[in-house]
Amino acid sequence: MKTVLSIKGLTKDYGRLRAVNQLNLEVQQGQVFGMLGPNGSGKTTTLGMLMGVTNPTAGEFTWFGESPTHTLRKKIGAVLEHPIFYPYLTGQKNLELNAMVKECPADNIPKVLDLVELSGRKDDKYKTYSLGMKQRLAIASALLNEPTVLILDEPTNGLDPMGIAEIRELTKKIAASGKTIILASHLLDEVQKVCTHFAVLKKGNLIHTGPVDDVGRGAETVEVQADVANLSELLMDFSGTASINRENGYFQVTLRDEFHGKDLNRFLFDKGVVASHLVTKKKSLEKMFLEILSEH
Amino acid sequence: MLLHLLKIDLKKLTSYRTFWVVCGLYFITIGFSTASGMEFLKWLASLIEGFGQKINIDRIPLYHFPDVWLNLVWWSGFFKMLLGIMTVISITNEYTYRTLRQNVIDGLSRWEFLLSKILTNFLLSLLSVVLIFLIALITGFIYTPEINWSYVFTDLEFYPAYLLEVFSFLSYALMLGILIQRSGLTIILLLLSYLLEFIIKTNIDDYIPWILPFFPMESISALIKMPLYRYAFQEIQDYVDPLSVAVAFAWMIAFNYLSYLKLKRSDL
Repeated sequence: MKTVLSIKGLTKDYGRLRAVNQLNLEVQQGQVFGMLGPNGSGKTTTLGMLMGVTNPTAGEFTWFGESPTHTLRKKIGAVLEHPIFYPYLTGQKNLELNAMVKECPADNIPKVLDLVELSGRKDDKYKTYSLGMKQRLAIASALLNEPTVLILDEPTNGLDPMGIAEIRELTKKIAASGKTIILASHLLDEVQKVCTHFAVLKKGNLIHTGPVDDVGRGAETVEVQADVANLSELLMDFSGTASINRENGYFQVTLRDEFHGKDLNRFLFDKGVVASHLVTKKKSLEKMFLEILSEH
Repeated sequence: MLLHLLKIDLKKLTSYRTFWVVCGLYFITIGFSTASGMEFLKWLASLIEGFGQKINIDRIPLYHFPDVWLNLVWWSGFFKMLLGIMTVISITNEYTYRTLRQNVIDGLSRWEFLLSKILTNFLLSLLSVVLIFLIALITGFIYTPEINWSYVFTDLEFYPAYLLEVFSFLSYALMLGILIQRSGLTIILLLLSYLLEFIIKTNIDDYIPWILPFFPMESISALIKMPLYRYAFQEIQDYVDPLSVAVAFAWMIAFNYLSYLKLKRSDL
């Protein structure tokens, strides 16, 4: 697998505030890499440094194994924070201008406009667009030069549920075409649905990095209910039980390692109890994220 | 490469209505005001006649070769402020819309971005020179009673000097825009530049008078001195002072270099 991005010791100070501290990170080809972190954790600052608009205080990074130059940036499609275009130009003209800056053929414009479903409004001025349309135009612009790497910073910020779903579908479609995507977001649900890998930043420090698939591993929690009076005691007797909680009218049983929901089900059945409700709950990224944050 | 950068900046400007309005105003005011000098003289004559004096306006060779060259470039020099304001709007827009940031993200280097603005400045200066040259040529042929070809080609060195004057001033406007980043404040400072420099000069001219020609606005306006005295005292500076050229040129380089330094060091 080829390394697309390699970051070593990247640091940014704003006066006395350290926005990004000694960041080390690697992104491989084909990954959909989620960058998580609360507001102000240094996500956008990091992306700004990677895209040449923020000068790093210390550290270095390479794109495709090469030191960063502005020519290299032409191969990357990036939308940082919010969409930025000339408000008095039409969508079409904005994209033509982008094509000139990126030195790529303008032939791609109809294609990307179709992809983000903006062809019908391409001759209207950018300032007349709704927020969702602006976001979509930004994605169109990022895709203009057929980049191998796409950077999206909070692409669904401020969108309505339909807009969020549209952008998510679009991201999945792009990821399926084999592009490497770096996605900064504080919407954990979104990252879990779209990303293959993720990193967590807090106050400029990298506090976790790993595959999204790992999130579901570890202790299982099973939600149980049955019409028997002594269910609580029965559950305590089960050898796989680590702890029991009562929540929303259900028992939340956290299992020891090596034990699974079906073991508990069999145990109850053997005891002559039939559960009216039994759900194995995988740990969500949100839960894990909060755990990681509280540990640091 | 240079042409490519110029095209990028022109693409931004040519769909921008303010650009056409300001440039239109500039070229129309310059065109009309330089072409209507005779009307002005007639008005002046009638005014003086009211006081019981008489002047023969045909004796004032405002549009005669070679006077016309210097007269028109000197007069047009006043209007460079309009182009300066256009330059300020063009650069501060990039900050307000944050498009400078996006341009760099999309793969323009900071130097290339600046160069695209400098090239537009140069193009505007050049257009201004060409326009005034044409007006001077036409009015010269209309009003000069006897065409003497050696006079027609005298004093043409004022045109390169005028190009330097406008381009230096636009470089200054660009630098102010990059340093201040807000259009309103930048335009006010630009308008006040001559006045502020004048205040400083009058406060120090008793102590270090030799420094006066080295002030930026002073050196830019010293390129082309007011020629109208020649009709009263017969004596004017009818050549381009090499010192003014050197100083104005140095300032032009300094303005653009400072713009580059500021742009390179700042987080966009």
